[in-house]
Amino acid sequence: MRIGVYVCHCGGNISEVVDVEEVRSFAGKQPGVVVARNYEHMCSELGQKLVVDDIKEYKLDRVVIGSCSPQFHEPTFQKTLSGAGLNPYLLEMANIREHCSWPHFDKPEAATAKAKDLVNMAIAKVRLNDPLEREAMPVGNRVLVIGGGVAGIQSALDLGDAGFKVHLVEEAPTVGGRMAQLSRTFPTEDCAACILAPKMADVAANPNITLLTYTEIENIEGYLGNFKVTVKKKPRYINLDKCTNCGICTTKCPVKVPDEYNVGLTTRKAIYVPHDFAVPLKYLIDEKACLYLTKGVCRICEKVCPGKAIEFNQKPEEIKFRADTIVVATGYDPFDAEKKEEYGYGRYENVVTALQMERMVVFMAGGRPLRDLGKRIAFIQCVGSRDAQIGNEYCSRVCCMYAAKLSQMLKRGNPERDIYVFCTDIRAYGKGFEEYYKRAQATGVKYVRGRVAEVSEDPKTKKLTLRVEDIFSRQLLELEFDTVVLSIGMVPSNGTSKIADMLKLARSPDGFLLEAHPKFKPLDTLIGGVFICGCAQGPKDIPDTVAQASGAASRATVLMNKGEVDLDPVKAFVIEDLCDSCGLCVEHCPVHAIKVSSVANVNKALCAGCGSCTTYCPKGALVLRHYTGDQLLAEVKAVLASKNEGETRILVFADYTCTYKLSDSVGTSRMPYADDVRIIRVPSGSAITPKLMLSAFALGADGVFIGECEQKFSPYPNAVEQIEKNVSTVRGILEKNGIEPERARSTVFATVMLGGFVNQLNALSKFVKEASSIPPEKRGALDEVLQQEGST
Amino acid sequence: MKQYVFFLGCIMPNRYPGIESATRRTLKEFGVELLDMDGASCCPAPGVFGSFDLKTWAVLAARNLCIAEELGRDITLCCNGCYATLQEANHLLKTNKELLEEVNKQLASIDKEFKGKINVRHVMEIFHGDIGLESISKSIKRPLKGINIAVHDGCHFLKPREVREHGSSERPKILDELVEATGAKSVEYKDKMMCCGAGGAVRSGHLDTSLDMTREKLANMIAVNADSVVSPCAFCHLQFDRGQAEIKSHWNIEFNLPVLFYTQLLGLAMGLDAESLGLRNQSVPPDKILKKLSSK
Amino acid sequence: MSLTKNQVIRFSDLNVKFVNEVVEYGAKIFGKDAANTVRYCVQCGTCTASCPAGRRTSFRTRQIIRDTQLGFKEGALTNDDLWACTTCYTCQERCPRGVKTTDIIRTLRNLAVREGHIIPEHKKVAGYLIRTGHAVPIDEKTKKLRVKLGLSKIPPTTHKFAESLGDFQKLVKKLGFDQLVGFKEGTR
Repeated sequence: MRIGVYVCHCGGNISEVVDVEEVRSFAGKQPGVVVARNYEHMCSELGQKLVVDDIKEYKLDRVVIGSCSPQFHEPTFQKTLSGAGLNPYLLEMANIREHCSWPHFDKPEAATAKAKDLVNMAIAKVRLNDPLEREAMPVGNRVLVIGGGVAGIQSALDLGDAGFKVHLVEEAPTVGGRMAQLSRTFPTEDCAACILAPKMADVAANPNITLLTYTEIENIEGYLGNFKVTVKKKPRYINLDKCTNCGICTTKCPVKVPDEYNVGLTTRKAIYVPHDFAVPLKYLIDEKACLYLTKGVCRICEKVCPGKAIEFNQKPEEIKFRADTIVVATGYDPFDAEKKEEYGYGRYENVVTALQMERMVVFMAGGRPLRDLGKRIAFIQCVGSRDAQIGNEYCSRVCCMYAAKLSQMLKRGNPERDIYVFCTDIRAYGKGFEEYYKRAQATGVKYVRGRVAEVSEDPKTKKLTLRVEDIFSRQLLELEFDTVVLSIGMVPSNGTSKIADMLKLARSPDGFLLEAHPKFKPLDTLIGGVFICGCAQGPKDIPDTVAQASGAASRATVLMNKGEVDLDPVKAFVIEDLCDSCGLCVEHCPVHAIKVSSVANVNKALCAGCGSCTTYCPKGALVLRHYTGDQLLAEVKAVLASKNEGETRILVFADYTCTYKLSDSVGTSRMPYADDVRIIRVPSGSAITPKLMLSAFALGADGVFIGECEQKFSPYPNAVEQIEKNVSTVRGILEKNGIEPERARSTVFATVMLGGFVNQLNALSKFVKEASSIPPEKRGALDEVLQQEGST
Repeated sequence: MKQYVFFLGCIMPNRYPGIESATRRTLKEFGVELLDMDGASCCPAPGVFGSFDLKTWAVLAARNLCIAEELGRDITLCCNGCYATLQEANHLLKTNKELLEEVNKQLASIDKEFKGKINVRHVMEIFHGDIGLESISKSIKRPLKGINIAVHDGCHFLKPREVREHGSSERPKILDELVEATGAKSVEYKDKMMCCGAGGAVRSGHLDTSLDMTREKLANMIAVNADSVVSPCAFCHLQFDRGQAEIKSHWNIEFNLPVLFYTQLLGLAMGLDAESLGLRNQSVPPDKILKKLSSK
Repeated sequence: MSLTKNQVIRFSDLNVKFVNEVVEYGAKIFGKDAANTVRYCVQCGTCTASCPAGRRTSFRTRQIIRDTQLGFKEGALTNDDLWACTTCYTCQERCPRGVKTTDIIRTLRNLAVREGHIIPEHKKVAGYLIRTGHAVPIDEKTKKLRVKLGLSKIPPTTHKFAESLGDFQKLVKKLGFDQLVGFKEGTR
């Protein structure tokens, strides 16, 4: 074995706390290490060259790099090794920044000791690493785009134009989404319908796009390159070949319901076309409003239709198809203003939402105003946004600008109007935004800094009085208005929640879809092949939405153009000589990836790499590649080796998806925690068998902690349940042997629970410090238990 | 029905015992038994003594809570201020370990220890929760039809929402429902949720500011032809009742709007006489509402 | 002709640690998280606009928080307006940043009283509390009314139980509350 160890200074981030020379020197003394260096920036070209040169000169066959978290540069260094002719899996990284110098910034001695342990652990593991090959899995050219708003439309067009086969699924009877409801768009005041309609038509006309409107996603199973999609096409109850769009049915239909396109300001019939630039421009019958479909009476439309196009016996159509990649563009819902009780929406007739005002402005522009807005109009900003009482703490990004737009359009429409915008501040961050805000002021719109506390209605005149403090003059204002417009924010749409649950997509604390990395992967998700864009990811305006939509299309294109994707080799595999085909693994694999013929066999495409199966195999024939029982045990031994009398050690097995990333964030935020903690990376905590945990205690660990993703965000089905079982087993054995069972713990974490992580580990550290240390006899007793129990 | 210890506070026993009488009588009709809390003191008033020294406030509140803990029963009371103090102190002591330690250190000097074993429930919660609107409706012998009531929720029954369990503080329904169970109508009026002006040591420190708020509320109630104010708080009760006498003497404005505590209203509807409810011993005579009642 | 008065505020005029003092004091009662919310204020004015006292006095709720944040310690603590708040909690209910406004006002009042800012009317009420255990002690008229209504003449409070009053007063003295409010034995 010829190992090269490199300790990075990270430009001071590590070396200012950790004594890098001491760590290098320590590493150099370990068996098998033939060269040990420390260097300013290992990730730089020169740093990488060091490694490449050493591989050649010293004929290295293993490399350890003590540096930042593998999250950032593992792929970098893996490429370095590949470039130098070494298998990329013969690399191990010791996280001595996020897990060491950063959280323990005020304890240089403890940090240096920990860094040595972590490097020792990496050396021990790398010795047992096998070269692994990434198998290629085919990825075809089929994309599912969920959502037909401007985001879905843009994405679908880019993908269709690039030659991919697109299914665009939209649950409304027309594409266009929210943008189709807008009047003009800021800051250029383009007519929303005019610029969107051609795109809507393009989407219908594109030969590579299969447009499915009035269609719901029932189920999506599978994985990148092999998604199985089932959708339900809702019946329109109209034969579209026979329908000529004459509209006689609509005139005769006796049912009137609120028109959702006009946000309840007007009514439509039960048989209707969504609006006049709908795509497809086709009629449909609303089965919840139709008298025949709900009560069995009427059928007037059927009688009057000249083309005999009404077909009440239509049924939903189930359609199944495959996709290789998915783009989620499920958009937003407007905030329900009734929730802000202080403003009286839903009770006071002259309080409207901005979305309703968009529709009113469109009607006014067409010469058919829906109502007289009166002379004095107020805009109240931040309704449902930036509001801890409502529970939406985020800013919805577009409201300052759409208020500047609507207010100046109303002012220009009738200069007699007296228009006010009441705000905490104005966010005009984008291209042309600040200039547009200035134009609104120039037009005569008045801005008052002050958040409106309450709106009350004069029961006789129905005029509204606002109570607000004019901050800058410290005056309390009670001002009467004819119309109040609530600048409502965005909330994650119902569709987004539904699809997120179906695809197991993670969410940010604000409820929108979580991107894989906030800076470098804003459109990827933690699920391979699934991309997000538009307001499903967070509130934004149209230019940003379109940019993200094209971006998501590009991300999907990268995968599909390659035609194949490398399969992560971290999978379970069977040591055939040890397998006696007992079949226990088959029933315990959460993804049913194992089948038994003469021996057990793991389907690599299905295997999730969680490691749950390794707990059950009584012969130790199942191992998780790159995280075998032997490798994990070697890490445990190495990281505990330096423990002295009177010291404590807490081992934390952190799942890479959530807990490991969380622990990195804790370090990045410089949040200190107990320095007796040693974190070991695993793909999933379910790979940690009771045997391994007991071995850890036998070898000197005082506490063992497993951190795992919340099940609904976890790519590993059943992991949480498996971990809880394993921990419970271990606790039972500890207790039987006179050791406090609470020394073994597990918790689910989300990537945002920084405080939770710190509190839990500090609590365990405190517990083991306050409890009397485990005497060697008891540790020895565990050893005996391990000999008896066999492999589990 | 459950047993409760009755926390009296100051205003109700020492100025408006009619509220105490009405509450004892009406609760008795529903089988709710009230035990005395011997040796209880001022809660102490949250806006007054909480403003002077919060630690003292917490310790004195804890002493009162200990009396109830020793009796092993939940507390019920008739004042939003007492509710604010006892409910909030109870909650803080159950959740803030440092505060609990400090407070128990002080209580040790009188051989008491706060253990966090009981809960504090406003008497309105007893009526709405334990007894229920249906039972109340059934018990009405003299439905108050045609009587317009200006319901004044007060502040501390509902707020802060985080530490209460009554839902929205912008458009609450509990008290209106309780009032309407008697047959009376709860009328909408301008700034219904506004404070009466008594709390926060403002009544004692700045009476004019305090009374101006009361005046505004009363004017809004008169504007919608209310026959009476009904509140769940002895201090608001004092502010509206005694306050009308003070407003008359300071500013020569007269409202003549009777002020009833909920149980006094309920008592009338259950057939009890105005005398035993203490209605004739308040600053504003109850004639306006009694006349309307008798004319039915 | 005299020199014009300086209008400029410098760091020497501010007490930048004041906000920390407020947070630390408030944390003892309300907990660290609640007390720390004073830092979140973005001066939107919802509190002021919700305040019923503000509509009839010079009290501006938002200003109190501003003074605390910026460090106008003396301004914040000696301001009469600080005592116009009825603690109705409407501001705290509506604050979009979750600032515990009312609780912070009570904290500021505590700090003001510690520096000796307490008006005679409030000292009087404190006196009643210390002497009798009640902020509003019973009077003869009400004793008679109680009997008439079939209630006990003296309510079963510290008015009746001397031992409890003794305990109460012991605590008051131990906490130094009597000294805080300038209570003198034997005075009205």
